[in-house]
Amino acid sequence: MIFKIEDVTVYFPYDNIYPEQYEYMVELKRTLDAKGHCLLEMPTGTGKTIALLSLITSYRLSRPDSPIKLVYCTRTVHEMEKTLAELKVLHDYQVLHLGTQAKILAIGLSSRKNLCVNTKVLAAENRDSVDAACRKRTASWVRALSTENPNIELCDYFENYEKAAENALLPPGVYTLEDLRAFGKNRGWCPYFLARHMVQFANVIVYSYQYLLDPKVAGIISKELQKESVVVFDEAHNIDNVCIEALSVSVRRVTLEGANRNLNKIREEIDSVQLVGRSKATDAGRLRAEYNRLVEGLALRGDLSGGDQWLANPALPHDILKEAVPGNIRRAEHFVHVLRRLLQYLGVRLDTENVEKESPVSFVSSLNSQAGIEQKTLKFCYDRLQSLMLTLEITDTDEFLPIQTVCDFATLVGTYARGFSIIIEPYDERMPHIPDPILQLSCHDASLAIKPVFDRFQSVVITSGTLSPIDLYPRLLSFTPVVSRSFKMSMTRDCICPMVLTRGSDQLPVSTKFDMRSDPGVVRNYGKLLVEMVSIVPDGVVCFFVSYSYMDGIIATWNETGILKEIMQQKLVFIETQDVVETTLALDNYRRACDCGRGAVFFSVARGKVAEGIDFDRHYGRLVVMYGVPFQYTLSKILLARLEYLRDTFQIKEGDFLTFDALRQAAQCVGRVIRSKADYGMMIFADKRYSRHDKRSKLPGWILSHLRDAHLNLSTDMAIHIAREFLRKMAQPYDKTGTMGRKTLLTQEDLEKMAETGVQDMAY
Amino acid sequence: MSNQRKRLTGEREDEDDEDAEGIGEWERAYVDDRSWEELQEDESGLLRPIDNSAIYHAQYRRRLRMLSAAAAGTRIQKGLIRYLYIVIDFSRAAAEMDFRPSRIAVMAKHVEAFIREFFDQNPLSQIGLVSIKNGVAHTLTDLGGSPETHIKALMGKLEALGDSSLQNALELVNEHLSQVPSYGHREVLILYSALCTCDPGDIMETIQKCKKSKLRCSVIGLSAEMFICKHLCQETGGLYSVAVDEVHLKDLLLEHAPPPPAIAEFAIANLIKMGFPQRAAEGSMAICSCHKEVKIGAGYMCPRCKARVCDLPTECTICGLTLVSSPHLARSYHHLFPIAPFDEVPAFSSLNDSRRTLGKSCFGCQQSLIGTGNKPGPCVTCRKCKHYFCLDCDIYIHESLHNCPGCESIHRPKSVSLMEE
Repeated sequence: MIFKIEDVTVYFPYDNIYPEQYEYMVELKRTLDAKGHCLLEMPTGTGKTIALLSLITSYRLSRPDSPIKLVYCTRTVHEMEKTLAELKVLHDYQVLHLGTQAKILAIGLSSRKNLCVNTKVLAAENRDSVDAACRKRTASWVRALSTENPNIELCDYFENYEKAAENALLPPGVYTLEDLRAFGKNRGWCPYFLARHMVQFANVIVYSYQYLLDPKVAGIISKELQKESVVVFDEAHNIDNVCIEALSVSVRRVTLEGANRNLNKIREEIDSVQLVGRSKATDAGRLRAEYNRLVEGLALRGDLSGGDQWLANPALPHDILKEAVPGNIRRAEHFVHVLRRLLQYLGVRLDTENVEKESPVSFVSSLNSQAGIEQKTLKFCYDRLQSLMLTLEITDTDEFLPIQTVCDFATLVGTYARGFSIIIEPYDERMPHIPDPILQLSCHDASLAIKPVFDRFQSVVITSGTLSPIDLYPRLLSFTPVVSRSFKMSMTRDCICPMVLTRGSDQLPVSTKFDMRSDPGVVRNYGKLLVEMVSIVPDGVVCFFVSYSYMDGIIATWNETGILKEIMQQKLVFIETQDVVETTLALDNYRRACDCGRGAVFFSVARGKVAEGIDFDRHYGRLVVMYGVPFQYTLSKILLARLEYLRDTFQIKEGDFLTFDALRQAAQCVGRVIRSKADYGMMIFADKRYSRHDKRSKLPGWILSHLRDAHLNLSTDMAIHIAREFLRKMAQPYDKTGTMGRKTLLTQEDLEKMAETGVQDMAY
Repeated sequence: MSNQRKRLTGEREDEDDEDAEGIGEWERAYVDDRSWEELQEDESGLLRPIDNSAIYHAQYRRRLRMLSAAAAGTRIQKGLIRYLYIVIDFSRAAAEMDFRPSRIAVMAKHVEAFIREFFDQNPLSQIGLVSIKNGVAHTLTDLGGSPETHIKALMGKLEALGDSSLQNALELVNEHLSQVPSYGHREVLILYSALCTCDPGDIMETIQKCKKSKLRCSVIGLSAEMFICKHLCQETGGLYSVAVDEVHLKDLLLEHAPPPPAIAEFAIANLIKMGFPQRAAEGSMAICSCHKEVKIGAGYMCPRCKARVCDLPTECTICGLTLVSSPHLARSYHHLFPIAPFDEVPAFSSLNDSRRTLGKSCFGCQQSLIGTGNKPGPCVTCRKCKHYFCLDCDIYIHESLHNCPGCESIHRPKSVSLMEE
């Protein structure tokens, strides 16, 4: 359908539109007009992605003089593919109605592992080794050598791509990763480098968060994006954590050992280059040339030969001083000495018996006094290492990860004085008898990593199904949105049924509060709840626990008391573990059990892999039980440091932040069950603390609006009864378009009418 | 008051009242006796008994519209000769008490009513009964045309035990139905009270097998929607429904009584050999071929092999001929030519309507159509003959009589005159 939003003609590839999609588009359009940033919360299953894509592309078409670029960031490759598939439908529709002028170039960009078509390179098992295998075949010196020595293996795809040079272009269209690989294979061009090259020409780019937020990657991939871009972060409820992780480094003992080995190897390389250098002028000349370059203080990244890009500096671009590399590390040998001293110092610090917490400033000063490395030297470690490795023509980058981690750490410590802290823990809190020292540089300020994005681009859209409370995000990320809104879901029937269960069938309160969680009564009541529920809920049931250790404990107790056996009479039981392969297998079998009618229960952990990325839609999840409030581990030193920082800098109370964080996790977990309007599911919040207003009110609006007062303080038997009724009601056939009272599918005529009367009065 | 009654009045009212009634919902479970549900509060706060007739009629109209909508446009071929297996799930879940007194008793009661209704509407068809108990499917009765034998077998074994297995039941039924003649429509109606199925093998294969052998599977769930049941019904072209309460269960069951539209690829015209046996003379003595018992009088004689059978319709056990009586054939006829649904007469406009003043009473029963307070009561009108009928007659005409008295009384002189020419 084609309709107008103010002065923009929107091309929407479906015949009907949900009212909330329309409103979403209106808000988005106003944001684009204002050239500002916005926060939009809309429940999953309401077609957020297509609304977003169709508005932004239509907006682009309506302003031919100032074309905007869309940069769409997703969390996973799977989501990336889904987005591109939707864009394809939209693109076909627009081309159908507008002809070739609507043609755009849209590409998905991912790592080499997902894009490479060279079978020998792909044989490597993980991402880093694929990268290394690729470099081994494409580095400029390797290619130079191969002209003399034909036995050196090169990558044909890359050679062809290089040969085509400027002519290597993608014709307009929408390319998923699969399409890119097919195109590359067909033409014999390397899809990865082609996609990287096309980033500057593409109208729509879909890639992962890291490509914008992690300064190491963003520096090389995203530096050429123009200001007139709209950046979208989808599923952005955890964006603050992504930002923090991008700037945090942890060093363990194995890292140090690895780094030492790396240094030895570098040392050998330098020696061999110098030895050979006596006979061969060229090799020794390399080191000298590098030295000269550093003396001149050229910006390191710009002047190295094009194909050999390395990860850029881990600090943010504007924090890197345009200075020459300090004198004491210009020579390769001296730099290696400095690194050795740094490693030694870190080793000494790791030997500590106590937990230590330090600010970067004091860490740097003690480093200066004990190891004689000053702050400025530290700051250049990462760049200097890169330069050295390039000069030494090292291609096995995956082997050199430990030393890179250490240099990464050094540079960040040297660059930032605020917003970070260094925490050294001699052992894991939960297993105090096993020494496992870890030194962590943790970032507390999410706004640091995202600030350049806000500054650089015209509009940044942060959107997700759960962004409540919506006023906290601008504070955490320190920006001012021009629009921040939460949309409700318009439904033809009440297809979600949230309940707060506060008491067991014996009327005793249930909670995972620290003093209550090991109480056998609570454990029994939780077990009884599940036993009752599995006997009345068909197909799949998902349970989320607050942590792995709690889950292990409670399942062990259930096993002893026979509760697990009772559950297994009704449904099969599957458990998430920390092992990814095992969990995937469990999930697969869980789905099969749901499909064939046997029914199954999945035990999972909030904040785990499953809670974040796996959908339990339709019959895979008719009920989700959230056992307890998933607070973070409040004794964690990193969390405490971050809370302190948030309180001092942003005036966010510790309690507020913890509750916010716990509730968004809970909302994420329960939100897994409903992925579309035709779906239905129940959500049980099994903890007495959910009935308190301060906790409950932080749930997203679309859940709250279905949470009736009568469902706020239930005991097990009441919940059973409500569930029974709900399931019966939902099993009845229903009318998809909605009855006259609440219209949930709008046609073109409805929209025209709405444009006249105003949006608000018809929407709900 | 209660959900069930509200649902009958239509979706809209149901949704509007949701908030008001939500508070009381959970309390219902604690009291068996629900006498207060018979009362309703009117606008002035007075309690008065619920007037159910209008509600029931609205429900019936909806059903009628649904049926006629399906039949509209082209004339649909219907499977008149049906071979239906009723599968009743007597697993552990059937012992639950959410239907009073228990699911098992309620199921048995309504299946009994259904069997009678089924033979009333499909005199040419046959039924068999299968039960699921302890994860195994048992044949209660083989295919047959006598309601009494089925009901007797059903009432004999009412106990709920063990797990349920959908696959076993389907395999058993499929095996039984593979022997029926090709003109017959194979159907299964499953009353499923469990929420899971413990199967020995891959149920998906069994479903494909059912699909291949043109077995139409319908399921009525008793507690909640199950994916596998829905999948089964979608694949085989059956209906899947879940009962909300006892009344609804009865309605859902009875929906299966009229013959379903024939499966397209299956709908080839076919000649069937049938025998129309004579009723045996009073007082004659013979051994019947179905029960192997000596019987005096009562019974029919197969016109081909002269064997004695007790009930019609059936298949002669000796020569295999289909035995029916002519009224059976005639009774099946109306499914092919249903009467069009009557139009509702809008209450507000009817006062000024000149035609309305003519007919103040129902054409069917001659009762006055003027309701309380001299206001016109609800009534309907036939599209063809424009006669008015009360709601009771409307239901009676469509569900039992299958002839419109108004149209018949107009047509008769015509047809007589035609005959004379």
